[in-house]
Amino acid sequence: MQCSDVREKLSAYIEGIVPPEEKAPIDEHLKVCERCSKSLADLKKAIAYVRNLEEVEPPPWMTQKVMARVRSETESKRGILQRIFYPLHIKLPIEAVAVIFVALMSVHLYRTMQPEMKLSKAPPGEVALRAPSVEKEEMTPADKEKPTGQFMVAEKRAKKREEYRAPARAMKPEPTAPSYDARVRYEPAAEAPPSTSRMARVGREREGISLTMDVKEITPAGREIEEALVQLGGRIIEKEHLQDRSLITAELDSQKVNDLLEKLRPIGDFKDEAWAYEPREGTVRIAIEIVETAVNP
Amino acid sequence: MSLCKKGDVDAFEALVKKHQKAMFNIAYRMMGSYEEASDVVQDAFISAFRGIKGFKGRAKFSTWLSAIVMNLSKNRLKQLRARVHHEKYSIDNPLPMNERRAQREPASGEPSPLERLEKKDIQQKVQDCIGSLDEEFRAVLVLRDIRGFSYDEIGDVLKVPEGTVKSRLFRAREAVKDCLKMVMGDL
Repeated sequence: MQCSDVREKLSAYIEGIVPPEEKAPIDEHLKVCERCSKSLADLKKAIAYVRNLEEVEPPPWMTQKVMARVRSETESKRGILQRIFYPLHIKLPIEAVAVIFVALMSVHLYRTMQPEMKLSKAPPGEVALRAPSVEKEEMTPADKEKPTGQFMVAEKRAKKREEYRAPARAMKPEPTAPSYDARVRYEPAAEAPPSTSRMARVGREREGISLTMDVKEITPAGREIEEALVQLGGRIIEKEHLQDRSLITAELDSQKVNDLLEKLRPIGDFKDEAWAYEPREGTVRIAIEIVETAVNP
Repeated sequence: MSLCKKGDVDAFEALVKKHQKAMFNIAYRMMGSYEEASDVVQDAFISAFRGIKGFKGRAKFSTWLSAIVMNLSKNRLKQLRARVHHEKYSIDNPLPMNERRAQREPASGEPSPLERLEKKDIQQKVQDCIGSLDEEFRAVLVLRDIRGFSYDEIGDVLKVPEGTVKSRLFRAREAVKDCLKMVMGDL
């Protein structure tokens, strides 16, 4: 056995874990080889030095410091959990209130903005006001998108509708052309079938009365109509003056609509009187279009 | 142990008290510095607390904890080595020096033979020689000859096969023997 082979095994030899078949040759070699014997002795001493190293005492604060860090870690972990879960009894009601508030504000804004949006979309030209009908609430969604109770070009209406001449008009000079679509509609909201859909609800809000009146002069007639509305406790929502016509939108107690019509009758001619208004509860929106009568040459 | 796994801090404190000395000695022999060993052991116990749910109980808890101490010690030694390397060539320390030799060489003012025989001095020299070993060899030597781990346990701690443990141990012992002969003369 060579010295290098023996020295490689000395470490295991000292520990007594050399296989028996290798132990005998090593023993034999060590008896005759002084250098390897010296090497074995030095190795044993070196190992003894290492094994005899004294144990070192850890610092006395070790446990305390470790546990302080452990506790702070568990508390911070608990703190994070508390931040996420603990305040639910506070967070949830606040969030619920916020959601309800946003929903109410949305509905409120939608309601208040709706009439203004309708008017702003109106074409600037010759228009006539028409109230929506109950049937329109049950139209297809595509139809619902179309403006109801809004302005409509007079010429188109004239082609579609049957002429009606109010009896009062017979007392006055007849216009050269017959006036079509002169009618009044009313849409009693209370009679409308209850519907949960948003479109249906909005449709009911739009319901009202649409009148078209022929007058001699727009300005004084408009003033008289406003006075009549105010006298009956109505609230004028909007006045719009166009070139040869004017539009007054107002809210009035439904019970006083017939009184208003009586007051308006002397001011001008209704284009359509084939109607009979049935009063109902609450207020009704009235749109009165005043058209200056064309004078025959 | 089961209480510790459930996050019982008091139960963990008992484990710290039980194992801190053994872990500190491993770290101290690996690091060669009391302060560094203190930091390593603290970090090791914190890591153990965080990961105790992952301790399956296949090995002894002390073996598992020793592996954490070993890993943190090695990581810390790498950091320190990188720092020394950086400082060695910095403007403040322009003269390169062999840090191992500096550790091995006796301090200036040659100590007398009697002084050299002083136990404390010998202990320091042995520690210096252990510190001169590469970490892989140092770890085997510390676990086997200082802490008395079996080859199996060393294999578990260092994640190496038993044959590797034996060969590393042989080389480590030879290196320490040579180192001690150099700093102490005849053994």
